[in-house]
Amino acid sequence: MEAASVAHGGHESAHGAGEEHHGPIAANRSSRVDAPTLGMLLFIISEIMIFGAFFTAYFFIRVAQGDPWPAPGTTIPVAVAGFNTAILVSSSFTLHWAETSIKRGNRFGLRAGILSTLLLGATFLFIQINEYVHLGFAPRDSAQATIFYGLTGLHGAHVCIGLILLSFATIRSFRGHYSPEEHKGLNVPGIYWHFVDIMWIVVFTTVYVI
Amino acid sequence: MLNPLRSESDAFRLLLYVIAVFGTIIAIIVIARAL
Repeated sequence: MEAASVAHGGHESAHGAGEEHHGPIAANRSSRVDAPTLGMLLFIISEIMIFGAFFTAYFFIRVAQGDPWPAPGTTIPVAVAGFNTAILVSSSFTLHWAETSIKRGNRFGLRAGILSTLLLGATFLFIQINEYVHLGFAPRDSAQATIFYGLTGLHGAHVCIGLILLSFATIRSFRGHYSPEEHKGLNVPGIYWHFVDIMWIVVFTTVYVI
Repeated sequence: MLNPLRSESDAFRLLLYVIAVFGTIIAIIVIARAL
């Protein structure tokens, strides 16, 4: 006990009584990007790598292997996917409407925009699931089917995550949490939603059109 | 300079560019297949 108090006293004398620090050291923060935006930036970069891995498999089958797309005896509904693309793209427009509305202090525009985005995103996901039900082939049937379900399913999972984030933003919008000065909670999910939309345009073009 | 990961507005602007580029690619493919 005495030895401990001596050791403690020695430690204090070494650093000086006025320079004592309690708790964990302060986090090092970027002076350019705030923490939520930096987190989303790093998350999106990791997501691009995941999609890149799936696209590598897709192009390996079509280019390196030279297999037909889609697999012989199967069809993929291009018209339905095109309609779904229009729905998802319009959801990005409504989200941008919500963001610009809150910047101008228009709370009705914010609520209408974010709610429309949520409903359009949910519609996209519903049509996607309905498409899977009526496709007539399973992921195990061929390499093409595996990649088709892999790429579109990976994107569908991202839409799901986006809808969860947008649900939080919608609830907060209706509770009046956002203002023209402070709406980071809408801005960060907005970046993610546009990323999901951009990825779908790439997936749609490669999987359904080319 | 456009940085799509900085704000929602920039990300939306990038989306518009992507729509323009891929829309052109899809149009070219559809026209080429029709000919």
